[in-house]
Amino acid sequence: MKQLVSASPHITDPRNSTRRIMIDVLIALVPCVVCATVFFGYHVLINLVTCLVFCFGTELLYNLIVNKSFTKDGVKQSSVFDMSFAVTAVILTLNLPAVMPVKYWGMNAVGADGTIVFSFDTVVLCALGSIFAIALAKMLFGGIGRNFANPACTGRVFLFIAFAAGGAFTATSSLFAGELGSTGATWLGTHSTVTGAMLLDMFLGNTATAAVGETCAIAILGGFVYLSVRKVIDPRLPLMTVASLAVFALLFDVLPSGARGSAVAMETAAHVLSGGVLFGSVFMATDYATSPNTFVGKAIFAVGIGLITALIRTFNDNMPEGFSFALLIMNLVVPLLDKYIVPKPFGYVKPEKKDKRGAKEAVNE
Amino acid sequence: MEKKTFKKGVHPPHNKLTAELPLEDCPAPDTVRIALLQHIGKPCAPVVAPGDRVRAGTLIGSGDGLCAAVFSSVSGTVKAIEKHKTPTGACEHVVIENDGRYETESLPPLKELTRESIVKRIKDAGIVGMGGAGFPSHVKYAPQKAVDTFILNAAECEPYITCDNRLLVEHAKEVLGGAAMLATALGLDRFFIGIEDNKTEVARMLDGIDAGGMPFETVLLKTKYPQGAEKQLIYAVTGRKVPRGGLPADVGAVVGNVHTAYAMYDAAVNGTPLYRRAMTVSGDVAQPKNLWVRNGTPYSVCAELCGGCPDSVKTVSGGPMMGFALPDTDYYTTKTTGALLFLNGADANTQKPSPCINCAKCAGVCPMNLMPMYIDAYALRGDFASAKKYGALDCMECGCCAYTCPAKRPIVQSVRLAKRKIKELKI
Repeated sequence: MKQLVSASPHITDPRNSTRRIMIDVLIALVPCVVCATVFFGYHVLINLVTCLVFCFGTELLYNLIVNKSFTKDGVKQSSVFDMSFAVTAVILTLNLPAVMPVKYWGMNAVGADGTIVFSFDTVVLCALGSIFAIALAKMLFGGIGRNFANPACTGRVFLFIAFAAGGAFTATSSLFAGELGSTGATWLGTHSTVTGAMLLDMFLGNTATAAVGETCAIAILGGFVYLSVRKVIDPRLPLMTVASLAVFALLFDVLPSGARGSAVAMETAAHVLSGGVLFGSVFMATDYATSPNTFVGKAIFAVGIGLITALIRTFNDNMPEGFSFALLIMNLVVPLLDKYIVPKPFGYVKPEKKDKRGAKEAVNE
Repeated sequence: MEKKTFKKGVHPPHNKLTAELPLEDCPAPDTVRIALLQHIGKPCAPVVAPGDRVRAGTLIGSGDGLCAAVFSSVSGTVKAIEKHKTPTGACEHVVIENDGRYETESLPPLKELTRESIVKRIKDAGIVGMGGAGFPSHVKYAPQKAVDTFILNAAECEPYITCDNRLLVEHAKEVLGGAAMLATALGLDRFFIGIEDNKTEVARMLDGIDAGGMPFETVLLKTKYPQGAEKQLIYAVTGRKVPRGGLPADVGAVVGNVHTAYAMYDAAVNGTPLYRRAMTVSGDVAQPKNLWVRNGTPYSVCAELCGGCPDSVKTVSGGPMMGFALPDTDYYTTKTTGALLFLNGADANTQKPSPCINCAKCAGVCPMNLMPMYIDAYALRGDFASAKKYGALDCMECGCCAYTCPAKRPIVQSVRLAKRKIKELKI
């Protein structure tokens, strides 16, 4: 048999592959999808299928067009089989409201009691978001690993900016809406007095939201533990992000608003549990391509996200939640962080000693 | 015993299929082909001519400076001196027809063990670092700087390979005696043995062995690749970091391989120059074996002795992490051939590389604390100055990055390209 000749090493870790990683992320997302469906209804599944189909289709089509090969081989060689499109699709779905009716369109089937039974508006928006996320944010920049911003986050922000005025991003209430959800606004919008029951609802995910996947803290924690155990993500990054958000929310919002005593802890907890911080830091901030590669870089990245999120939450009255924007802004800083933060090699000698290889030039240029 | 180690690294499956199998003799073929370049440095000049009679142990090539003498491994007649390929290139080989009588020629036993006499014997016996690199030992054991630590490297961290392990089990007295001589050559009166904890029993057994009266300390190390890499071993055992671009002697340490120590003992006590070595033949062969192989034995003979390798898709000279892949078995063993592996499709990496996903797992396992993904990317882009910035020159090519890479990128290959180009373009 012909022997293969290549550079060492000749063995590889069979447990590590791009597809394996993506499947692990999908597995970690399952609890969130289940909770979203339970709390916000079957619309979530319709959105999910739409996003999956359009993400898959966009990536495949892009591959075929760029490779100018519309054959079976072209399909086989395309990048869709690494399953990263599915991760984008699921995260995008979980970042959107269950139903997104658009002003002027109104392509919705309304049931006898006045609730929307099927919303074609939503399907169109999901499709648009998917195409935007995959084609513009990911494939145009070189596909997997080369995107400068999180595709799902970009897709969501695109829809949010383009259709918010059309009413698509009104928060929807949980089907079991309690004290919190019944108003149809999130705690970040109302800033009502936090009670223990409200915190429990937030923890379970039984609140109103504009993004179906981000409410259930238990499901997100499950995903976090799974990804950490499987060593897919660096668990320190989400922890640092959430911690910095808690600190900055405490400094900018909770303390200046006059909360004292136990209310300080309650409101800080409400900040952490509301909005997309938990979901985003576990599933979106840890995106490989758009997060720094060094620990110091990750720390700066995490603190930046926490800071900007807290600033937007506190000082922008039109926007109760700012995680997506914070993430996108920090995504843009990542290449800089990776350029200037280079770990010192083993045995690094300080340049004053005039290392014969010129360590100074090699490390700091 | 406390277990020491270095930072980062990977855990490939050990696959030490031959750990319990005793060393057996590999019959020498009718013709051996002995390379005149079996070490790092200048090739030897042949000192025999076609038609000369030689015996096992007769000097057939020598040279000055960074060069180690080469000896005949069989008795017989020199047939030719011709160029033949080696796993890393090509060099002159001395072709000797084996007369099957195995007459030997040896050096007189070394009576006095002084620093000078030991280093001279190392040079006379053609001993090189037998862990794989083949650095001429007479240079290494006469360091320019003061040395206070000698570490016998028994880590054997590469998967599959077990020849050092077998030498320790079967010839512990010789190995430790040789290690004591090497320590003496460095002017030391004690030494360390660094051994991975998957060989704990061997380590315990060693504690009861007399190393020619010299005290030694066995340091149990975590089983992790590349635990046996020189800088990582020194760090694990002594806590010292060899400076960037420096040599172990810069931190007062010297690392010696188990087989080198054995060869030292053999050369000093029995007067046998280095012309054979222990070698592991493993992987997807019918009967993996540990063999005593004479230099110049064709790989194909070793393979046949182990029952052939019908399903092999990759032939590797050396370990699976740092060895060289070969297109066929038309190569000949040398002083540094520690293993011959035949990997089948399930074990060998035959996957096509896919785009880097920037997961930084390679940076997470790099024992030199580099950023392999950037070296890879910049080398392929032709920006070798940037590749250098991210540590291309510090890389020891251990392969942890490529082993762990989910996209299966051939990172080590890019690093080699970068190293070569940096040298060529004087960046």
